[in-house]
Amino acid sequence: MTKSLLIQVVLLLGAAGLLVMFIKRWDAVHTRAWKRIAFFLFIVANAFAVLFPSLVTDVAHFLGVGRGTDLVLYLLVLAVGFLALNTYMRFRSLERKLTDLARTVALRDAEFLNERRFPAEAGIAPRTPEKASS
Amino acid sequence: MPDYGNTWLVVPVYNEGRVIAEVVEQALKTFPNIVCVNDGSTDDSVEQILGTGAHLVRHPINLGQGAALQTGLAYALAQPGAEFFVTFDADGQHQTQDAEAMVGLLRDDVADVVLGSRFIEKTEQVPVLKRVVLRTAAAVSPTARRLKLTDSHNGLRALNRAAAQRMRITMNGMAHASEIVSMLARSSLRVTEIPVDILYTDYSRAKGQSLLNGVNILFDISLRERGGR
Repeated sequence: MTKSLLIQVVLLLGAAGLLVMFIKRWDAVHTRAWKRIAFFLFIVANAFAVLFPSLVTDVAHFLGVGRGTDLVLYLLVLAVGFLALNTYMRFRSLERKLTDLARTVALRDAEFLNERRFPAEAGIAPRTPEKASS
Repeated sequence: MPDYGNTWLVVPVYNEGRVIAEVVEQALKTFPNIVCVNDGSTDDSVEQILGTGAHLVRHPINLGQGAALQTGLAYALAQPGAEFFVTFDADGQHQTQDAEAMVGLLRDDVADVVLGSRFIEKTEQVPVLKRVVLRTAAAVSPTARRLKLTDSHNGLRALNRAAAQRMRITMNGMAHASEIVSMLARSSLRVTEIPVDILYTDYSRAKGQSLLNGVNILFDISLRERGGR
């Protein structure tokens, strides 16, 4: 019973970690550093798992999981969740930047365009320099 | 007739070439200042708008209606003398009379934001002014602090300058409507709602939001603000 609890704790911690990362700011430098550390650990774990397959099973037994394969599967689920979240947030952030960029381009383009189309209005009400200062 | 020289109509346009010129010409009779934001249309919307007296802002790519609204507001805010801002749909379902009534409320300084609602029933017996005052009072009173809006997804909205400057629409897609409402609820702006007529033509109905799109809106909203900056 205590053994099966251990893997549950690990997986729940992983899920909680995902949730926290989801809610908190993502692109902070220290978050990125943690991601790199996690990646490094992942590589090391990979190498060990390839060199000593039985080690995975031992770890699985220690955590209360029946087979090493099952342990890998559980961790894979966590990793995929992490990946999906990371990608989603990166997309959102990119979308925001793209919007800002496109808006700036559109507004600048519109200034020229509409000045040309309505020269009379521009003459009556010359644009104030307030925009340039903001 | 009051002068609407200080009022700007913001019209997001996406593939509305069939109707946009007519809608704009109609609205120009009342409101001299109109800015159409072409959101990367693939039809002849741009040519149609260029044929009218409306200002045109062109998104280089399609970004979504929320982004188009924000761009239009930014453009209108930069125009000299702009005091009141009305968001207006391009498909011809909104009435300029309703927009006039909304701007009237802003002008009388009884509200900072006026939203159109399809679901408040129009009781013809009550005089217009009285009805407006009653509803305004109900919406502005402190006890009705939590905006009890009946229709959060109506594209017809009127904002004064202070409210327009506060708009930071980040949801590019259709979820911006809910975003605006929740932003208003958190702000100290005086928000009210008046009944508006919607012309449901076959054209606008075909373009309207499907139930499935509602699922998209819910999803976007539930994830809002969680995305990194």
